[in-house]
Amino acid sequence: MAATDQTDERVKEISRFRQALIRPELGGIVGTIAVFTFFLLFAFDSGMFAAQGVMNWGIVSAQFMIIAVGACLLMIAGEFDLSVGSMIGFAGMMIAVFGVVLAWPMWLAIIITFALCLAIGALNGFIVIRTGLPSFIVTLAFLFILRGFTIYIPQTLESKTIIGGIRDAAEGDWLAPLFGAKIGKPIFQWLGDAGVIGVFERGNRMGEPVVDGIPMMMVWAVILIVFGHVLLTKTRFGNWIFAAGGDAESARNSGVPVNMVKISMFMFTAFCATIFAICQVMEFGSAGADRGLLKEFEAIIAVVIGGALLTGGYGSVLGAALGALIFGVVQQGLFFAGVESSLFRVFLGLILLGAVILNTYIRRVITGER
Amino acid sequence: MTSKMKTLALAASVAAAPFMTATTVSADAHAELSYVLVSHAPDSDTWWNTIKNGIALAGEQVGVNVEYRNPPTGDIADMARIIEQAAASNPDGIITTLADYDVLQGPITAAVDQGIDVIIMNTGTPEQAREVGALMYVGQPEYDAGLAAGIRAKGEGVTNFLCVNHAIQQPTVGERCRGYADGLGIELGDAMMDSGTDPAEIKNKVLAYLSANPDVDGILTLGPVSADPTIAALQENGMAGDIHFGTFDLGEEIVNGIKDGTINWGIDQQPFLQAYMPVVILANWDRYGVLPGNNINSGPGFVTADGLAKVEEFAGEFR
Amino acid sequence: MTEPLIQMKNIEKHFGSVIALAGVSVDVIPGECHCLLGDNGAGKSTFIKTMSGVHQPTAGEILFEGRPMNFADPRDAMAAGIATVHQHLAMIPLMSVARNFFMGNEPVKKIAGINFLDAKKADEVTMAEMKKMGINLRGPDQAVGTLSGGERQTVAIARAVHFGAKVLILDEPTSALGVRQTSNVLATIDKVRKQGVAVVFITHNVRHAMAVGDRFTVLNRGKTLGTAMKGQITPEELQDLMAGGQELATLEGSLGGTV
Repeated sequence: MAATDQTDERVKEISRFRQALIRPELGGIVGTIAVFTFFLLFAFDSGMFAAQGVMNWGIVSAQFMIIAVGACLLMIAGEFDLSVGSMIGFAGMMIAVFGVVLAWPMWLAIIITFALCLAIGALNGFIVIRTGLPSFIVTLAFLFILRGFTIYIPQTLESKTIIGGIRDAAEGDWLAPLFGAKIGKPIFQWLGDAGVIGVFERGNRMGEPVVDGIPMMMVWAVILIVFGHVLLTKTRFGNWIFAAGGDAESARNSGVPVNMVKISMFMFTAFCATIFAICQVMEFGSAGADRGLLKEFEAIIAVVIGGALLTGGYGSVLGAALGALIFGVVQQGLFFAGVESSLFRVFLGLILLGAVILNTYIRRVITGER
Repeated sequence: MTSKMKTLALAASVAAAPFMTATTVSADAHAELSYVLVSHAPDSDTWWNTIKNGIALAGEQVGVNVEYRNPPTGDIADMARIIEQAAASNPDGIITTLADYDVLQGPITAAVDQGIDVIIMNTGTPEQAREVGALMYVGQPEYDAGLAAGIRAKGEGVTNFLCVNHAIQQPTVGERCRGYADGLGIELGDAMMDSGTDPAEIKNKVLAYLSANPDVDGILTLGPVSADPTIAALQENGMAGDIHFGTFDLGEEIVNGIKDGTINWGIDQQPFLQAYMPVVILANWDRYGVLPGNNINSGPGFVTADGLAKVEEFAGEFR
Repeated sequence: MTEPLIQMKNIEKHFGSVIALAGVSVDVIPGECHCLLGDNGAGKSTFIKTMSGVHQPTAGEILFEGRPMNFADPRDAMAAGIATVHQHLAMIPLMSVARNFFMGNEPVKKIAGINFLDAKKADEVTMAEMKKMGINLRGPDQAVGTLSGGERQTVAIARAVHFGAKVLILDEPTSALGVRQTSNVLATIDKVRKQGVAVVFITHNVRHAMAVGDRFTVLNRGKTLGTAMKGQITPEELQDLMAGGQELATLEGSLGGTV
């Protein structure tokens, strides 16, 4: 017997420090530090790190986080969803159609919209599983189908492509505040009075702080990140997600219900997109046919910056959340720093490339991939 | 590994440095006033180049800092965030379009309440501008412009028309079609076509529509995005110069079309003014406290083959 | 002699007009390693797929623990205690050894009424089982991708045994391995057999078979050419049987007996 109790001399001893460092989120952590360093240096006194500025990039990041969590879990399960952006537009429009055009109570509109979008997510997954087609193609089809309906339905019903009045329709509803309200208002009022954050100088909101609460969008982002992270790393279902994406055939041979896992991840992605959409329409009060354009790619980019493998089986929800943070901070921060806005894509490309190179290196160290 | 990251961070800052220093220097050299123009147009919409040039020229002439910002994909919700961001960076004034009142009203009002002067340009109505507390509105009221175009087209003999709408998701742009139909005195019906923004697609859709509806004797396009492919379509099926063709906005191809008779007229909303005037007005308001007493209509101005020389010279730049 | 755990009697399997198995009979006793030898295309794969429930036999009978058995699918067979370690392992290189080990059978613990993965237990069991098999892991979170081919085979075997396999079917576990790794895997087989598991070891390498096998059955063109006990047959005879007798004999002359 060759292998005995003594350790294999060829396995290099890895220092604790390095071991703690080598994790899927490392790319995201490094990127976050780099990005914040950059903006602290170049945009510190531009208002970016005042309350209002923080709220601005914070909420944009929270938006990315919500869809990135769904996209991350789905990508780890080995599939893509390109219909996320269209789903955002579609879900928002459905709220408007049910709640405003048909004048149903808002809570009913929200519940029906959730049911509808989850069903579409399940259908996405079902088609992928049944036909064996790449999810890339199937969800690309839904990208067009959903966007088409999002333009067609309001056009037919109201002969316009933006339906407003959602805020009024949601007034006094018991479920709507879960998506549209702000929390912690007294604290912010107190901070405003104490002069920590600025207050409005005129208008009917004079004296109120410019940042008057944490929007539910952010709360949802945190809830989804925690949920996604726990689900992925601390439950057996999480193990199945990794297995389904790592090698579906092997996972099936080991008794993992791969189809169920994949379909439920498609549904979860749809769920996240719907949360995004409802928070958005509750905040802005209208649903437009152009909402969510290209958001699917933004979600995928955030996930990839966060260290997930495009082919599945590897990744981290925390990493994806950091990826979303980087994305949001860079997108809004470039404005603060006064950089020509058309260069945003250049920065995004550089960050994406840098993160992917770093992530690939880390992953090779961890998994022994060659 | 750590060294690798350092290189990465360093590379990023090095890459960014030229742009950063450029803006900082100009900030020092120019006066203290700074204005931000926020549009709803996606990066792909070249029409807004005139706007960029307009604010740049105004900024240079009156000696203030100007910046142009837009949501890369044209998503109005993203635009709302940009307005919030602009307000957070505390400029002296914000010039913005009002592409979706429901969405933008909140952020714009908040900016006004925060003490920032706002001027609405291009999209929106004078009433909405007043609602959000803006100083004024500079632009071309869409429905009225469409109505004027329709009345003129009726006089020129149009009875049945096709409206090529490349921006179906923007309701204000669709108002032009509605106004045009009302000007002609006929129902809009399905005469408004959702053409998408891809040139080849637009061209083929127009060709298909015209062969399916032979009684159409007038076309209205809503900007260069839909006009350029429509010109190509008419040249292909031989209807160029034969069918009545009016368009909103100007561009190089449109100017050529007007010259060779393919296009009867272009409606110029004179975007240059929409960008240039607000900067000048804001600067004078901030410096001397003077403000014109009314909104400014930058259009509509009909451009026919007669008045083309200046348009041609500055097409795509200031016209 | 102990009662056979599984008996396959005159199994036939036809795929359309192709007769893949034309009457194969094999039985496996607990604690023995039964080697199934045969050249490529002899019907080994079809046979083990029949045994593990992937295929239903066209004719013939399967007795499991003395009772006639009809597996509808591999899950049935797995539930009964028949585990297959495939050439393409049911292992996911990107995942840690512990996560792989418990894939599909994750231990759970209840916290506030919700089932959470019992990672501590999974890690401990994995480390212990691996140690038993003579593999020292850097840690339970070491990725399978960092293990050698032989070590992966061992993890797969240890996993099957841990989850109660009575019959372990090993499909060519040594075919792609180097010398040292092969000996590791053979040692693992030996350990498993001593724990009382019935091992079906499919190979076309006579020397590997001779190293651990108790009985040897040779398949050729879909038929069993007979079963021999250890010591009753020489490697050369096995080799000849696998090749169907004659062709190899002529070959052997030119190769000087090296095959």
